[in-house]
Amino acid sequence: MANQNASSRGPILSEYANDADMAELVESFVAELPKRVEAIHSAVTQARGTDLKRLAHQLRGAAPGYGFPTIGAAAAALEDLMRQAPATAELSAFKSQIDELIDLCSRAAHR
Amino acid sequence: MTIDPSNPTSAKPIVLIVDDSPDVHRLLKARLRVEDLDVHSAEDGAAGLELARQIHPALILLDLDMPVMDGYEVLRTLKEDQATMNIPVIILSGLQNAQDKVTAFDLGAVDYVTKPFDIAELKVRVRSALRMQHLIQMLSQRAQIDGLSGLWNRRYFDTRWTEEVSRCTRHARPLSVAILDIDHFKSINDTYGHPAGDAVIQGMAKILQAACRQSDVACRYGGEEFVLIMTDTSPKDALVLCERVRTSLEGTNWPTHPDRRVTISIGVAGCAGACDATPDAWLHAADQNLYTAKKTGRNKIVCSELPTNTTGKLRAAG
Repeated sequence: MANQNASSRGPILSEYANDADMAELVESFVAELPKRVEAIHSAVTQARGTDLKRLAHQLRGAAPGYGFPTIGAAAAALEDLMRQAPATAELSAFKSQIDELIDLCSRAAHR
Repeated sequence: MTIDPSNPTSAKPIVLIVDDSPDVHRLLKARLRVEDLDVHSAEDGAAGLELARQIHPALILLDLDMPVMDGYEVLRTLKEDQATMNIPVIILSGLQNAQDKVTAFDLGAVDYVTKPFDIAELKVRVRSALRMQHLIQMLSQRAQIDGLSGLWNRRYFDTRWTEEVSRCTRHARPLSVAILDIDHFKSINDTYGHPAGDAVIQGMAKILQAACRQSDVACRYGGEEFVLIMTDTSPKDALVLCERVRTSLEGTNWPTHPDRRVTISIGVAGCAGACDATPDAWLHAADQNLYTAKKTGRNKIVCSELPTNTTGKLRAAG
């Protein structure tokens, strides 16, 4: 699991940082991450659970492909937890997974 | 599916990605770039189905977990539609449990790749699915082609003819059919041997193909008999095309028998608009005309026009 301790929390680089074919794609993926973080924030504050689950689902599928397996794993953990929880569960129940995902997304860098 | 027997391998295989995540589209397009594919994408199930019908992809990569219409429903719909049922589908899914895989295969998927996918693995699975599809197409095409002449065979003709007649009836389009029979073919075989007879069949096939337009369907019906479906063609225009075939064959020099010309008799039956005739009755009319052509001197064409939308004028061939 992508749970590093606070002291090592620097930027996360894509596994494909040195792959010329992927450079442009990784860059655009990273450039769009702040928008996703914002979308996660607003889904949480407006209590839109379905949207949050979908955002996590999409990151889970896409992030590893762009060389960010830790983001994928954090998104997977959030999605799985939400699927197992009763539909009536408050989103605050997933706070630590949400925070973890947002933290990793905020630290992703393309080089 | 229509395959052109003269052009069995088309250009780049078309691959369709149906996935609600644009990230996956971008990623796959970049990763599959080296594979020489024509990659298209749709972001939801309905758009994917629509695109599949339009572009006839050689392979579909389908996500299962999509909002509104999920991948299972897309797969089910693809397999129910004649136009898309033979397209192989690889499931690309984040759902990892065995039951999802079983359901997908039960519904007709050819492969299942879990997300996040390993790109090297995905590439070989795509390649393998495309190779299989190519072989299946080649086999089904071979089974519809006559070995000696390279034209469509009788089995293909039977299906295609029924389709064209119903299209003509539905859309009131002109349609004509010709039955062509080489004159005194048995005597060519008996006099110059079977290789000479085969050469005549092949020469005739070449002449037919040269005279045909893209929309025409030339078939070897059996022995020395050929049929030609001329779509969107009135009997008057069909006559012109058949006359070209007749004179071209008559003017051909045969290396094995330079002193012996080969001729053909042709019966044509066509309709300028909507027609009530059944496929059998229609073909029977052309056959009757061929019979008349043979009876009245050979090396000629007899053509008739079927009545437009008036019932009872034609008796079914018995």
